[in-house]
Formats: sequence, structure tokens, C-alpha cells
Amino acid sequence: MPIEPKPNTALFIAGHGSTENPDSSTPYFEHADEIRRRGLFAEVHCIFWKEEPSFREAWYLTDCEEIYVVPDFISEGYFTQDVIPRELELTGPTTVVRGKTFHYCSPVGIHPSMTQLLLRRAKEVAPDVDPAQTTLIIVGHGTNLNANSTKAIKDQCEILRQTGYAAVLDTYMEEQPFIADWAELATTPNVVVVPFFIADGLHSYQDIPVLLGIESEVGAAASQREVFRHNPHELHGKKLYYSSAIGTERLIADVILDQIHDFDQQHHSHS
Amino acid sequence: MTQLDWLQHLLAQGFHRIGQLEILPTGRAEEPYWLCHETDRDAVLAAQGEPEGFQLTSDPFQARDISTYSADHEYRFTKGQTNLRGGWLMKLKNPTDLLAAIDGFYPACFSLWVAQQRGTLDVQNLRDKLNRQTGMYRFARSISDEGAQQLVQEVCGPAHQCAKKILWKLDENTPLADSEASRFNGVSSGLPEPLAIPLLCREACNHFVAECRKASKREFEAKAQAQA
Repeated sequence: MPIEPKPNTALFIAGHGSTENPDSSTPYFEHADEIRRRGLFAEVHCIFWKEEPSFREAWYLTDCEEIYVVPDFISEGYFTQDVIPRELELTGPTTVVRGKTFHYCSPVGIHPSMTQLLLRRAKEVAPDVDPAQTTLIIVGHGTNLNANSTKAIKDQCEILRQTGYAAVLDTYMEEQPFIADWAELATTPNVVVVPFFIADGLHSYQDIPVLLGIESEVGAAASQREVFRHNPHELHGKKLYYSSAIGTERLIADVILDQIHDFDQQHHSHS
Repeated sequence: MTQLDWLQHLLAQGFHRIGQLEILPTGRAEEPYWLCHETDRDAVLAAQGEPEGFQLTSDPFQARDISTYSADHEYRFTKGQTNLRGGWLMKLKNPTDLLAAIDGFYPACFSLWVAQQRGTLDVQNLRDKLNRQTGMYRFARSISDEGAQQLVQEVCGPAHQCAKKILWKLDENTPLADSEASRFNGVSSGLPEPLAIPLLCREACNHFVAECRKASKREFEAKAQAQA
């Protein structure tokens, strides 16, 4: 959904980041670049939990008096409901913090337009498989810190079950059903696994391949590898196709704008 | 004054260094500012902006890629580290792009300096920072004052590759113990203001919090061992 230019407004793309793996924050910068190219905002900044600029420094970044904050997070959960509001000192959808008005949008991962991105990614990674003979597995992190963290994946899987795949399963690294059990969970000859993560960071590029059995040990960061993996992987009598994280999709930039559009629709905020 | 006004005001006073960045006003209308590593200044000037083997760009947002790894391929997860690599030159078309480039190399640092000038910089002391940690980092708050003071000397300051000036205290009544790290003025080049401006540390970074968590765990284990 296109949004009207907001030439006096700043956009903050809020991400997790990492002190160990720079690939974790690459997608956020790519999404910011894409939105900057469209010239919709006076300024577009990435802000982070684990990198710089930190959420706490964000207030200082811009002279704009109106700021949209879109969590470039995959689910509603610990970070979007606890950490970001706390660090940015937000108390509701719109908060005035020391003279600057912050609009706090929903995270990208819960927007309905994510379904098409997941389907697109699944087809890209396994273009020739028959969906009727294929299990589509969406894998997320899972955490006991916030019960909402898995909701986005469950919701997406519910919709994806209408798209012709023999089965669509939600799985997690740290909660049941575990991704490590994929071979027992999937009964079809083909299995497509799409990581429901923003970045090809530690989890999607290093941890999950080990849990799937593609790798025997945790490898180097994505950007440091000379040889990328090749699909399909023949494992447990099945053809396994593993995609890069959904957040690396260029069109996430559109989802960020969709969330701003939806925020304006819901809260009648136009700048 | 906007942040951009502050930058232009500083440039007019001769400002040319922040962190390890050297700003070279060119007098050229199409690329009024060159930006390079401080140690590449002479090479860039001698080659009149065409140094051989350098990565040349006019895109200020390339700063992120350039500053991600050190020359030793070490991930620079805190941008105040003093191991920014050289061998690149940005030819920037206006002050806006110069500001964006500075912000890419040293995120929020110029903004924090401007806030300090404006009197709007809010410094957060370590105890407040640690006390609001949740999840796995909530244990960081258990660190003793002695442990935290020790960590500042082991983690912060130019001796440990951080070029930021620490503004925070342990808490309102407990300043940092005197050390090279706590004394450092945030200007690694040694140039005076306004030729250089400092990199400011308004609250402990996540790296420091992570180290507090580890130190806190060590303290807990040592205490448990002593009681056993």
C-alpha cells in the first residue's frame, strides 16, 4: 500500500543487531536504503538493541519533531512489547518524548503481506517441487520470555495451509515442535524450510543448519563463507530445501511502509 | 540551530577530525568534502583525490560497510573502536551527505555532541543502565562497585580500543575511579576543539553490560566457593 511522502518526518527502523555477527544487521540497512531511495521521509535511521546507534541514543539522532518507529522484528513479543518501548520511553501508540512525537507501529512480521513473501521465498528456493508432495516448514526462535513470540508464525502457517502445500508446520529452535525433529514431523518426500527471522545471522545461517543436519557443526557467518549451501539436501530419505531468512527479502521495505500506512489508518495520524 | 547548522558552523571554524575520520574541504563545487581515514590524509592530498588502490565512493551510506571490519578482519561491533581501517575515500556532494557519512562511521556521535552543546544530553549512570536490563542481562546488575570500577579500566578507553569519553558515573554519588579510561577526553587525535570534537559515551554500551554480566557471575561463583 503506497503511503504519502512525509517530508518533515523521520523513520526509525528498529532492529536487534549483534555483537558477534554483522550479517545480523545487514537487512535493516538494506531496508533503510530502499526506503531512502523512495524519498518518502526526511531521514531514515536504523536503531539497535545490540549495535549502534542504540535505542537509547535514537532520540538524539534527528531534529525532526515527528518520528515513526517500525520494529523490523519478526514477531510481537519481548523486544517489541518490552524492550523497545522501555528504551525509547514509549507509553502507547503515540508518545511525546521530550518534545518529539513518536508513532510506534507494529512489527513487520505480523503484517498480512508477509504471507506472500513467505510463499515467494518457498517457491524461489524449490521452484520445481510439487506443493502437494511438499511440507512447508516455517521455523522461528521461540522463547519463554513472551508467549506472543510464536503467534506471528502460527498465524502465517494458518493462512499458508490454504495454499496447496501438503502440510504447513510451525517449528521452533527452543520450543516444541522443535525444528530438530523435522524429519519425523514431515511425512512428504519434499520439505521446504523457511526461517522466520530478519537476518541470516547466528540462528538461521549457523544454528538451524546444524539442527536440520545440513551441517555437522556451527559454521562461519554468512558473509564470511566462500561456499554457500546448495539445495536440495538429501537427508532421511527426503529432499530438504533450506532458504535464507525471510527478512533478507528486499520487499520487507514495503512491509515497513505497510505498517506505517496501517498505523495512520488506525490512528488517523497524518504528517 | 539544526544538527546540519552545527556541522557547518564547526566546519567554518576549522573542524576536520572526529574519531579517526579526516574531513578535507576541497573547494570543489561538485564534491566540497572528502572524507578519509586520518592516516590517509597525506596520501589523498598528494594524489589530489585519486589515491591508487583506494576504494572511492560518493555514497555516504557506504560508511557502514567500510566500518564493519577492521583491517585485521575483526568485527567492529562498537563503532568507537580505534581500529577503523583506511584505504578508502568518500567524495561527498554536500554537508548533508557529510553528516550522514559521519553518522555511519560513528552512529549518533555527532548528534550527542550537538545535544551536549544544546544542554539536552541526558547521561545515564551505570546502575540505572544495569537495573533496567531484563532477560539474560538482568544478572549484570549484581556486579559490585569494585567489580564495575575494575571493568571500566579493563574494557574502556583507548588502551582497549575505545575512543569515547565516558560521561557516566556508577551512580549519582559514585564517580568513576581515576584511570586512563575515565580521564580520556574522547579525542584520539589529540587535536583541540573545534578542530576535533569528542566521541561521547552517554551510557555504558552493550559490550560493557555483557562484561558486567560475566564479571557478576565470576563474583557470585567466587563467593560461593569461599563459603563452601
